[in-house]
Amino acid sequence: MRHPLRGTSASRRSFLTMAGLGVAAAAGGGSLLAGCSRRPETGGTATRLDRLADQLPTRQPLELIRPDLEVPAPAASGFGSYPGNLVRAIDGQPGMGGGPIRVTTLYWGPTPPGVGSNAYLDTINEQRLGVVCDFSIQDGNTYDQPLTAMLASRDIPDVLVVPSWNTIVPRFPDAASTLFEDLSGYLGGDRVLEFPMLATFPTDQWRHCFWGERLRAVPFVNDNPFGWALYYRKDLLDPLGAGLPATAEELYQLGKEITDPGRNVWAFNDIFRYLKMAFGVPNNEQGYSVTAAGGVVHEVETEQYAAALEFARRLFDEGLVHPDSVADPDADPKQAFNSGQQLFLQDGLGAWKGMQLEQQGVTPGYDMQAVPVFAHDGGEPLVYGGGQPIFYTFIRQGLEPDRVREVLGVLNWCAAPFGTIEWEERQHGFEGVHFDERASDGTPINNDRYHEEYGEQFTFMSGRNPVQVGSPEIPGWVEAYAQWATRAAPLIPQNPWAGFKLEAPAAMPQAGQFVEDAEKDILRGRRDLSELPDVIAQFRRTGGDEGREFLAGALESTSE
Amino acid sequence: MTTPIVTQLPREKHRREPWEEKLTAAGQAGKAAVLAFVVLVVLFPMWVIVVTSLSSRATINEAGGLVIVPPGFDFSAYIAIFSGGRVTRALAVSTFLATFGTAVSMLLTVLAAYGLSRRGSFGHRSLLFVFLLTFFIYPSLIPSYLVVTGLGLKDNLLALILPTAVSAFNLIVMRAFFMNLPQDLLDSARIDGAGELRILTRIVLPLSKAVIAVIALFYAVGYWNAFFNAMLYIQRRDLDPIQRVLQQYVLAGQAPPVRGDVANLPGVTSVPPSLAIQMAVVVVTILPCVLVYPLVQRHFVKGVIIGAIKG
Amino acid sequence: MSRTLETGPAPPPAPARPAVRPGPPRRDRSRTRRGRLRRQLRRDWPLLLMTLPAVGFLALFHYLPTLGNVIAFQDYNPFIGDNPLQAFVQSPWIGFGNFLVLFEDPLFWQALLNTLKFSGAQLLLFFPLPIGLAILLHSILHRRVRMVIQSVVYLPHFFSWVIVVTFFQQMLGGAGLLAQQLRSVGLDPPTIMTNPDAFLFLVTSQMAWKDVGWGTIIFLAALAAVNPQLYEAAAADGAGRWRRLWHITLPGIRPVIVLLLILRLGDSLTVGFEQFILQRDAVGPGAAEVLDTYVYYHGLITQQFGVGAAAGLFKGAIGLTLVLVANQVAHRLGEQGIYAKS
Repeated sequence: MRHPLRGTSASRRSFLTMAGLGVAAAAGGGSLLAGCSRRPETGGTATRLDRLADQLPTRQPLELIRPDLEVPAPAASGFGSYPGNLVRAIDGQPGMGGGPIRVTTLYWGPTPPGVGSNAYLDTINEQRLGVVCDFSIQDGNTYDQPLTAMLASRDIPDVLVVPSWNTIVPRFPDAASTLFEDLSGYLGGDRVLEFPMLATFPTDQWRHCFWGERLRAVPFVNDNPFGWALYYRKDLLDPLGAGLPATAEELYQLGKEITDPGRNVWAFNDIFRYLKMAFGVPNNEQGYSVTAAGGVVHEVETEQYAAALEFARRLFDEGLVHPDSVADPDADPKQAFNSGQQLFLQDGLGAWKGMQLEQQGVTPGYDMQAVPVFAHDGGEPLVYGGGQPIFYTFIRQGLEPDRVREVLGVLNWCAAPFGTIEWEERQHGFEGVHFDERASDGTPINNDRYHEEYGEQFTFMSGRNPVQVGSPEIPGWVEAYAQWATRAAPLIPQNPWAGFKLEAPAAMPQAGQFVEDAEKDILRGRRDLSELPDVIAQFRRTGGDEGREFLAGALESTSE
Repeated sequence: MTTPIVTQLPREKHRREPWEEKLTAAGQAGKAAVLAFVVLVVLFPMWVIVVTSLSSRATINEAGGLVIVPPGFDFSAYIAIFSGGRVTRALAVSTFLATFGTAVSMLLTVLAAYGLSRRGSFGHRSLLFVFLLTFFIYPSLIPSYLVVTGLGLKDNLLALILPTAVSAFNLIVMRAFFMNLPQDLLDSARIDGAGELRILTRIVLPLSKAVIAVIALFYAVGYWNAFFNAMLYIQRRDLDPIQRVLQQYVLAGQAPPVRGDVANLPGVTSVPPSLAIQMAVVVVTILPCVLVYPLVQRHFVKGVIIGAIKG
Repeated sequence: MSRTLETGPAPPPAPARPAVRPGPPRRDRSRTRRGRLRRQLRRDWPLLLMTLPAVGFLALFHYLPTLGNVIAFQDYNPFIGDNPLQAFVQSPWIGFGNFLVLFEDPLFWQALLNTLKFSGAQLLLFFPLPIGLAILLHSILHRRVRMVIQSVVYLPHFFSWVIVVTFFQQMLGGAGLLAQQLRSVGLDPPTIMTNPDAFLFLVTSQMAWKDVGWGTIIFLAALAAVNPQLYEAAAADGAGRWRRLWHITLPGIRPVIVLLLILRLGDSLTVGFEQFILQRDAVGPGAAEVLDTYVYYHGLITQQFGVGAAAGLFKGAIGLTLVLVANQVAHRLGEQGIYAKS
């Protein structure tokens, strides 16, 4: 399917007309208005963490559990299967006799029953925690609206779970200082050892939890530090006899070979992000990186980006991309992959296990594998890594210190790692109630009651040290994962801003959005590749330079 | 005191009026073609939606999405939605909202529409502007939230009724219909000493069955579809209206919008395909609307005064 | 409940014929304006009382929170001050700064232009459709058939935009039904869903599909209000079907048409949100960005509430102006519009 080559000159012309209008409006009317006006504040702050070293919780891994497959950090280690004997990690109960703790968290699915009609909640509250956690569960997809309303009206519960994508907004630092408890005194340095499960979290995740130079949140550790993987349907590709690509050109040739719209088969979804890794486009922090000369540059300004863009554009031009992905970059590409209409899939690492488990019951022989990372020219590829915690758990400001300790004790229980009895109870519920039998490796098989009552209530309240677990149902999976991750993890470059808590100025995400929009336009032929310099210029004007100055300034402060 | 007697024309005619010409064959064919096209264009998607809601995961995979020809019927999507009684409960909540809410709204709207339907009445234009202005200047999220929670309406179904009880659009439409009634009829009643309320109930309302039915339908549909305010103000799950509950079933099949993916989405192997659930949700929402419309439509008749008895 | 008129002496008990003069007995003094107003008040206070509850509701739930729009002129920080209300007062004032942010952005003007384009297309292409369909439906003789068709035709209104767009994508998209059929006979399927040039037509078709049936409801009610005796009289005078349509039917529903037209004009900067956000990426923001999606991406997502409020005020000002102008035009054409001159 060919896309129309839009009248590129027309779009450029109309764009410039709009720009002219904007300038005219600002000049003409603006001078009238500007007399008594100023723009809203949109600055950002960068905080060096070495100044906050005493507030950063120390890390102490739990000796009780040893993984089967060691994988280099920051990737999660692997377990071949569910562990045979579970250990009890926590003695006693965190509850100190306080009243119910009100928690607001989120869930993607039907809201489970509340306290009093939910055996899962009640058992944990009464028998494991010694204090009642009363959950108010919001929809995952529409959470930002009630969250905004709650924060702005300062109407928050005792414990609030906030997704990391809802904190990249201006004023959140103000919200954090006004609304949430300062946890440095409870968890900073060695004080975290009072809560040994929380102490297992990687230090890199804690650094994101600082606002206004104080520790304010407990992170839900990101269990997938990798950006993107390129999956393929091994069961469909092998019969074609083709090998796996190891260079960009091989990928292209393979794509051409397998695409056949007449038989409803395409090669890819939008794999531009993966290609950026393959072409070595540098990106340490929100698109920016440090050049050899010491300057700060954004990925859109690099020549690797231009090369990657051109290559990806070729894939679109020649119809190798599934039409649904062409039409809507946010459409779910998994459907096409699952039905065999698309043989490659770019997605996060977290999708792998779930899809394999789910689809092999539907399509016999379904085999989803990940292409080993490769560079466009066969050399050393780049892998994007690092990642914010998925959720942050905040505690309301103004609670009594004992109460805060009580809450942290609950979070500690929730953070018990894989392989402990606590983990199983939090994750699977209780034997005889939520599961009656176990799989061959001991994994509990949950029943309908479980699905009714379980809604990630305790799971989202606090993260755990991430692991990847295999299962007899998907033999070989965890080994495949470990192999992929072992190759990829060391290829994650050092992040020069790793030692900072960054609160970006508003212009940065906006400029980033602008680049993303322009990317989508260029890939799909609505704008020409030759417009890239215009895009770069516009990006720089509307926030790109501001972002650069911000990040460069942060680095400079280290050299003082 | 005169009491006009208002009655209705006999039910819609079965046959042509004697003075109406018969359509030519071509005319009839054309009319039929247009109507058939319209109906088809609506029914075909409905068919696809119902069929997809009754499809299994395998069928959907094979079709690559929406299913047109069903190989068989799989009720797992409906079972998933109706198990646990949550949907039934939510249907009850929404029915309550639709009926009670519509009653409140209609009371307010009918009174105000009539109150504004007399040309030249005191403060006529200013009050009209008060309503008209609501189109152009409206509150945003945070202040509305502050007002509603400030009134203590959190977790209260009234939070889904009161803020939206008055719709300026509905009011202006109803007022327009009222103003189109023959004014001399109302004036003569006034002369005879009838109070405004009596005029409203005895003359205006019986003559306005059509617009009353229509506006009531508009309000009822609005309450039935209520979602946003429920999301903000209702925490108790047993007070969720139907759209909230159904949305959650739709969301169950969707992964969180984050790369790092939470590894533990439960029930991933036992939830029916999300597309089937989405479609089942649509069916459950639409069914009551199909059933309600005939009730509304029968009021689309004109009322006629056949006389006035003076006493 | 029996009531008598309040002003002046009670009228004599119901006369055999109605009084010659309408209106209450006049007081002799003061033809002054104040006197007239007072008279009006005494006559109309029941009407005012009826209007009061609705006004009260609006005052509390609509206009009170509308005061919050003051943030359009502030650098709003919800966390200043001791409580949320103080935040409104204590946030720094920046005059028209938020408006400048809007007006200096070429993307804002592009969104505005797109919005006007879509609005115009809707008015020209979509607005007449429900009228025509309603007239057609109204003329169906068979009661059962008419009932069934009317019940069916308004159903798509209840589909969410997600469903509508998904449906269009599955039918008309590159991997959709139409494309598959065309390919199987060797033809190259046209690009529909991702074609920025066809987007205007696509969007209007989607809206037509979703809302034509719903739009007929109001017109059906209006058609029912036309006096059937007029048709009979016209037929007796020799007017055929089309002349009756032109001289009786259309004038009969003209007030409603004009009213809705004016209201639609006032709303012309709001062409939709969900419909456009879902397809923004398919055709690119150049073709699909409208005012509401622009505000969402550039204002609300980054929690720049002030900018969002400024855009809202801008929309309101333009909309109000349009309504006032349109109403004047309607008056010139002899219609009463939304409000009459007096």
